[in-house]
Amino acid sequence: MPHQDTALYKAMLDAVRQTFENMAFVEVTEQPEEIDLQIPTEAAWVSILIHDPVQGEVRLAMPQLLLQEMTADMFGIGNDEVTENQRQDIIAEILNTLAGLFMTNLLPDDQTYQLGLPEHGEGPIPANEEGSVIWNLQIEGTPLLLVASGIGLTTENH
Amino acid sequence: MKRIVIADDSSTARMFIKRCLDIIGLGDAEIVEAEHGKEALAAAKAEPTDLLLTDLNMPVMDGETLLKWVKASPKLCEMPVVIITSAGNPAKEQELLELGALKVLNKPVAPPMLMEALESFIDD
Repeated sequence: MPHQDTALYKAMLDAVRQTFENMAFVEVTEQPEEIDLQIPTEAAWVSILIHDPVQGEVRLAMPQLLLQEMTADMFGIGNDEVTENQRQDIIAEILNTLAGLFMTNLLPDDQTYQLGLPEHGEGPIPANEEGSVIWNLQIEGTPLLLVASGIGLTTENH
Repeated sequence: MKRIVIADDSSTARMFIKRCLDIIGLGDAEIVEAEHGKEALAAAKAEPTDLLLTDLNMPVMDGETLLKWVKASPKLCEMPVVIITSAGNPAKEQELLELGALKVLNKPVAPPMLMEALESFIDD
């Protein structure tokens, strides 16, 4: 089965779309296979741990300029008024929200789960662990990257 | 004037909630923001508070612990507590309702969700 058809892949895709549409009023789509939009190495990124019922990690990365523009739009301020704290808070809250929706989509109704707190990444985006599931997405031609790792989380996707 | 405490470690989330409150007609309420449960508990104890809106996942004191403290306090136990979280699903919602939460809403919160949850509160 192509990995795009798995419950895990669809659960994340739905969570991402819903989060970005409701919070930032932007549409997230999958990157067409023939287009290879690359996330710059100096991108903004944030990660969150899933503690229970499986152990895993979800990481979100986007170009700094996209984050800057989204932050300005969401706070209703000019691009040059955006502070580093606001940028960090926005990307963390987006990941926090989409990770929750992802787990809700993925798990049965009677299964609780526990997430950690979002943690900001510094420096280049880390290399993906073996077995990671990757969502190559875009917002109007700007790349957006999501990666889920952790054997317990991603096993069913392979 | 109503007094509402919003507890969330994310300023973005607090901003969204405030916007929603404004849209549903609670824009004139006194809003007190807290970054975690301990701060929210102190704010709620400091002055009579009509409503507590809280996230679950927060540093220092999480929302579930905050809810337990509120419901165990003779002074605060009647105060309605609405949980707004990214870590909610039907199983968790049931747990929180049994602990005394008025409603459990999933992020991203939207005005109609909040309006429905606070219908009786707004009518008062």
